[in-house]
Amino acid sequence: MASQGARTAAAPLDLAGPAAPPRRNGELVFEAPWEGRLFGLTLTLHGQGHFEWEEFRERLIRAVARRERAAAAGGAPFRYYEAWRAALEDLLAAKGLCGTAELDTRERQLAARPPGHDHGS
Amino acid sequence: MEGFGPVEREAAEPVFHAPWEGRVFGLANLALALGVANLDGFRHAIERLPPLTYLSVGYYGRWLRALELLLRERGLLAPGELEARLRDPRAPAAPLASRPLPPAELGAKRPRLREPRFAAGEAVRAANRHPHGHTRLPRYARGRRGTIALVHPEAWLLPDAHAHGDGEHPEPVYAVRFAARELWGEDADPAAWVHLDCFESYLEPLDASRATGGSHGAR
Amino acid sequence: MEHADDLRTEALESLLVEKGLVASEAVDAILRHYEQEVGPLNGARVVARAWSDAAYRRRLLADGTAAIAELGYGGPQGEHIVVVENAPRLHNVVVCTLCSCYPWPVLGLPPAWYKDPAYRSRIVREPRQVLAEMGLALPGDVEIRVWDSSAEIRYLVLPERPAGTEGWSEERLAGLVSRDAMIGVARAAAPRG
Repeated sequence: MASQGARTAAAPLDLAGPAAPPRRNGELVFEAPWEGRLFGLTLTLHGQGHFEWEEFRERLIRAVARRERAAAAGGAPFRYYEAWRAALEDLLAAKGLCGTAELDTRERQLAARPPGHDHGS
Repeated sequence: MEGFGPVEREAAEPVFHAPWEGRVFGLANLALALGVANLDGFRHAIERLPPLTYLSVGYYGRWLRALELLLRERGLLAPGELEARLRDPRAPAAPLASRPLPPAELGAKRPRLREPRFAAGEAVRAANRHPHGHTRLPRYARGRRGTIALVHPEAWLLPDAHAHGDGEHPEPVYAVRFAARELWGEDADPAAWVHLDCFESYLEPLDASRATGGSHGAR
Repeated sequence: MEHADDLRTEALESLLVEKGLVASEAVDAILRHYEQEVGPLNGARVVARAWSDAAYRRRLLADGTAAIAELGYGGPQGEHIVVVENAPRLHNVVVCTLCSCYPWPVLGLPPAWYKDPAYRSRIVREPRQVLAEMGLALPGDVEIRVWDSSAEIRYLVLPERPAGTEGWSEERLAGLVSRDAMIGVARAAAPRG
């Protein structure tokens, strides 16, 4: 665990620029819990050596740019962690770690759960 | 200038509102590190932007235009080169005639080589000078009376000289306490004070008998 | 395919856990670590330490740069930091009328409003009014000091410690200190409940 902590502490999160996660008063801002989970998943995978940070960062910058352009052209408003998610999925598929098809399947399964399934458990 | 409305704040504001802002931030810092200009020269380039441009292009818009101005002035961006690249992304870059020299020393603090002229609590007047070049004495304080609130340690390179490549000329710097009523007239808030950092050469001694109310509470 | 982000992320995490690639506990730990990361929160820690430790507070007011460096903070735009302390009848607020100078090592990069002409020109001209508009109402007999960072000295406001926080840990106290309170356009937050 200590070595993983050291590795994740070395993940060079951009403090500024197109790849930088949103902050408020310097703290990372997650508008919803899923954004934090996504962030944590990415850094955990990186910490365990599944990819170099720059491989993720390149994809993130491209995904941010695409979504910025779409938003400027009147599309959906830009949301940083949507770009992050797209970049991570793309990278996981490229590395053969998790494919888009199985993600789609799992997402449909979860969506099919009855409402209130996670209450009182 | 008057006519500014309320301060508008954005909740959960990102550091950069668009990716290009971050690119400009990085490019400008890199340009300074490479010696395209020093920090004072960069600030002065922003100040030299036409007023309408200054007020309408936003904070990083000013950085971008200042950077272009400096690059052109240093001969690092050829006339028409940027426009050509905007028309055609494959337009070749013009060759560099010369390269900038990185700065020998970073930071603005220098050792203090002589005693400061003024002491804490002393009454002073900010010079009534209006240089055309770069200065860090705002218009609102020129000719105004105040007292020395803090004598800052060491010495600091003088932006008025440094921005123009005229050497460092380090000087002591003081936080000078000005009453709002001294700056803005008798209708101003009697309990408001501005503490402005002034380079020594911006200040003149004031006959203590003519100072008004500036020494109360100065620490 | 339109996604519900939370479902998609849950799908992702569950698959990665099942494949043995990550453990959810590891994700939890990372989140905790990064939510403590550097940035303007450095300043909040400095303030919390000053509130908790009288000797540190004295050192901080005597030599801000050195005391801030004790916590490991320093760097560009922090060559010389002066800390100015608020008191019941004295309120400090910081500006750079000429551009946007700001104590990066303790507060990160400045917010857009700090750099805009509206704040820069009006806070020196009518500070009590501008602060009231920004949500901080100060009685007329409270002295306001506006520090204009026109040279390379940078200023950090030490806000008053809120009542009802006796015995709090530094980490808990730091959570009450916002960037706005350290610029001087707000007070530190009061404890909830």
